[in-house]
Amino acid sequence: MKRSGASTLLAVIAVLLIAQGALQRAVVFPFWSKNYNSSGGKVNSAMDPQQMLFALLGFRELLAGILWVRADAFFDTGNYDAILPLIRLVTILDPQEIDVYATGMWHIGYNFTDEEQRSDRRYIPSALALGKEGAEKNPDTYEMFFETGWMWWHKVDDDYDKSVHWFKESQKRADILPARKDILVQALQRDGKVEEALDTLFRLQDDGIARRERDPSHGADQTLNTVVSNLDSTLVRMVQRGLIAEEQGRPITGYDVSPPFDVGFSAKVTVLEPMVLRVEGTWNVLPVGTRVRFILRDIDYPHAIPGGMVWDFSDDVNLDPPRDKTYMMDQLFVKNRRFNRKVDMSKDPTMYPFTSDKYLLEFYYNPRSAPAHIQDKFGWNGEGMTDKNYLNTDVRKGQKVVYCSFEVTRDQLLRHGEWQDKVPLIKTPNFVERKGSYQGKDEVTLDIPSLRGGGATAPSPKTPVTPKPGRPLTMPGN
Amino acid sequence: MRPILSIATTTVGEAIRRRVLLIILLIGLLFMFVAPGLGVLSARSETTVLRGMMLGIIQLTSAVIAIVLTVYMIPNEIERRTIYTILSKPVQRWQFLLGKYLGAVLALGLMMALMSVVLIVVFILQPGGTRDFALIADLLKAPAMYFVQMSLLAAVAIFFSTFVAPLVNFFLAGGMFLLGSLFNPFFQTLQENPNTPAGAKLFAGLVNTILPNFANYNVQNPIINPTQVIQNEGRYYIEVTMYGVIYIGILLVIGILVFDRREV
Amino acid sequence: MAAAIETKQLTKSYKSRVAGKINVVDNLDLHVEEGEIFGFLGPNGAGKTTTIKMLLGIIYPSSGEGYVLGKEIGDMEVHKIISYLPERPYYYEHMTGPEILRFYGSLFGISDEAKFQGLLEKVNLHRDTTKTIAQYSKGMQQRIGLAQSLINDPRLLFLDEPTGGLDPIAHREIRDLILGFRDEGRTVFISSHELSEVELICDRVAIIDKGVIGRQGKLTELLKGGRIEITVGGVEESLLKGLNLLDTNIRTIPTGFLLDVPEEQDPNSVIDAVRAKGGKIVSVVPRKKRLEDLFVETVTNKPAIGVPS
Repeated sequence: MKRSGASTLLAVIAVLLIAQGALQRAVVFPFWSKNYNSSGGKVNSAMDPQQMLFALLGFRELLAGILWVRADAFFDTGNYDAILPLIRLVTILDPQEIDVYATGMWHIGYNFTDEEQRSDRRYIPSALALGKEGAEKNPDTYEMFFETGWMWWHKVDDDYDKSVHWFKESQKRADILPARKDILVQALQRDGKVEEALDTLFRLQDDGIARRERDPSHGADQTLNTVVSNLDSTLVRMVQRGLIAEEQGRPITGYDVSPPFDVGFSAKVTVLEPMVLRVEGTWNVLPVGTRVRFILRDIDYPHAIPGGMVWDFSDDVNLDPPRDKTYMMDQLFVKNRRFNRKVDMSKDPTMYPFTSDKYLLEFYYNPRSAPAHIQDKFGWNGEGMTDKNYLNTDVRKGQKVVYCSFEVTRDQLLRHGEWQDKVPLIKTPNFVERKGSYQGKDEVTLDIPSLRGGGATAPSPKTPVTPKPGRPLTMPGN
Repeated sequence: MRPILSIATTTVGEAIRRRVLLIILLIGLLFMFVAPGLGVLSARSETTVLRGMMLGIIQLTSAVIAIVLTVYMIPNEIERRTIYTILSKPVQRWQFLLGKYLGAVLALGLMMALMSVVLIVVFILQPGGTRDFALIADLLKAPAMYFVQMSLLAAVAIFFSTFVAPLVNFFLAGGMFLLGSLFNPFFQTLQENPNTPAGAKLFAGLVNTILPNFANYNVQNPIINPTQVIQNEGRYYIEVTMYGVIYIGILLVIGILVFDRREV
Repeated sequence: MAAAIETKQLTKSYKSRVAGKINVVDNLDLHVEEGEIFGFLGPNGAGKTTTIKMLLGIIYPSSGEGYVLGKEIGDMEVHKIISYLPERPYYYEHMTGPEILRFYGSLFGISDEAKFQGLLEKVNLHRDTTKTIAQYSKGMQQRIGLAQSLINDPRLLFLDEPTGGLDPIAHREIRDLILGFRDEGRTVFISSHELSEVELICDRVAIIDKGVIGRQGKLTELLKGGRIEITVGGVEESLLKGLNLLDTNIRTIPTGFLLDVPEEQDPNSVIDAVRAKGGKIVSVVPRKKRLEDLFVETVTNKPAIGVPS
């Protein structure tokens, strides 16, 4: 090439270089960073091609780390949907990331909620499966066993044998923190295995004493104190609830648990507006702490059982639960022997798609979940509880629970068809209407006359309650 | 012009028969077909993840093809001595280089078009697939931009191939692609951080001005997550294509200057 | 006749880190007449291909000048009337013969199908038009190479090792084709180290070694200087020495002596002289000088056996 040609070309290059630089800085970059940059938090993507390249090149752990940092940013912005695939990817890329398993499980179990902070129960099996997988991939540390047990204990709050299993597994691992061992005792008690709970407490006490001798630190001291205190209260409860008497073959009359107390359950559900329910009812237990489980689900929801679900029906971590099915679960808080709650499902169509024709409304109460002060009356297994109409011993084998269910239709729930102008009203035959709202202005004030007594009848809400001496309406107050 | 086109079409014919490229393409297509089956990665975000993955596969596959295709193009011609039969004809070196480059871009275009077709097919055929053609057209914006991106990458690789060995070029071009893909966000972070020293800002600005910024073409985010409406998006596409064409021009002219002096 | 190729002190040097500056081609003065078949001979690495590449403008001379068909080397105009067949090129394997010709034709702006067909017939490939290059034998590949090199009716053809790696029948086919080129009035510049081939077809040769031309000239002239071997018995060496037989070389062999007599000397005088001394003539064998002798002579800088330098 001739020299003059070359210098012309060099000039062309210089001009083009300036042109592209100007274009990049003045036009392209500002627009790009405003609209397309993924780190700005405005948008998300599952995974950048560059990140995929990293993965393919073998930097799996590095990529897992990068992704996890990214997921963290999504936590900050509340972009929860974006986190799921990241969690799954990170656990696939680096199964030793226990934090990701634990956080992921917690995230899946707790963070998907509707506008009224009800968890999306359809995700619980996924959370449990992730926990199980995490435990299997990290069998040498207690953490995922403990976390999975916790999910059963706290979130499922029903199948306590499962939490007992996982907490036991966690205790087999040497690295478990001493303070985390106590929960097994609680789970055993809720599982009805009081004797075993007691044995465990004695064992923990021995362990604690031995530990304090080796290491007389404040922590060791405290842990032991907790165990001793728990042991103490368990023994007291065993006596109070007649367990010791039963074991010794003595009659258990005279204890709180005998005769059983009738909770006088009644309920009424009104479809106020499409997908908005008013749930009211009675529960003749005065002290606070009662939560009646309320479920509205597709009648054929996969793996559903009365009052719950086979939560661990699959070991596959399926992050895509039945999207076209509905499963709503709520807690009805009993106050002054009544519950009254508005359940609004109209704002969350992704969680409550209502695509099926038939639904089941369920009320479920398991005394095993009750707080200690209520269990003092009901016993660990509901020995001290009954209900004239809805006591059920079938839906949970070997347990006494309160259960009742109604079938409802899609038309009723959505106020379609014939229900456009009529207000669907579902109630138990024993439900007694009260005029007006009891809340605030119409509260019933009660005296609590006695600690002992038999069952009670539901008071007529209209008449002021005047309990007869020796026949208390309800259990001791707190 | 005639020799350039002849060389370009011959290059296409050759490229689409190269086994290694076909294997890469096949792997990419395979991934695209199995992507909807990776249910573990999709949550209630429905097709978000699928879209992201599919576009990612297209981009990654195209990038690997672009590099592998171009780094061996000139060295292969020399090794097989076909370059001598061509250069001993009335063909200028710039015509040869340009023809080769155009051929590479055409071959890339064909392969990317095939991937885009698969993208559409998968989106229509997947369970609960879409028939929403506006959505599909929206989806195709990304591969279109990737095509400009890969053309730029091919220009980078062909530029390097005028003076370095293929293996070195593979890493040079690949590294350039990674750097050019990651620098934009990095630069933005630097700029937005008030604690960045002025010198570092200036330096980063300089690099951002000079570097081929492949990230400019990573427009997939709003496509994957169509939550925001972008004003003047069409104009951006034109501008960023212009940027690419100018940059390709620079690389080719320098490449020609080097190649012209090179003893083959 | 005008010179088809003319070079003056054409030099190509490379810088090597180990050996410093190396002259691959060193002050080359070549002269090729139009219309002849010129053999450019030398061992591997002698600088043959480098010289051709310089003449084609593919690489640039370090110094000196060169002209091809009257134009300075590197002139694109001259590329229209020359062609080059590299040593064993690998054509685009997916193409068929006609496609190869179409491709190379397009580089000249030629799209004459009849011409392509004619060329295929000429190289005897017109029956294999559907085969791709990948399916061609080596000989077929070389023939399609020759066909492509004829697309532009070149006045000058550069053929680099045209028969390298081919079997004897293919050799013959290629040789006949090349001889045909001369009959068509083309100049053919053959670079080769297969001397027997070159000897059969070339008019003139140049022998290059380590970048330097050792010999250059008409083959008939360069091969002058054959010898006659006369085997003699029944005579004493001292008697033979006394004969004063000019250039004759005398070697002792088991059966007597071998007298090596230059071609231009009259062997009869030697025979007579030996007989006169009572010697017995065992055999008289004429030994023609061959290109190989010349080549070895040039490359080793030593005379071939029996030939004084």
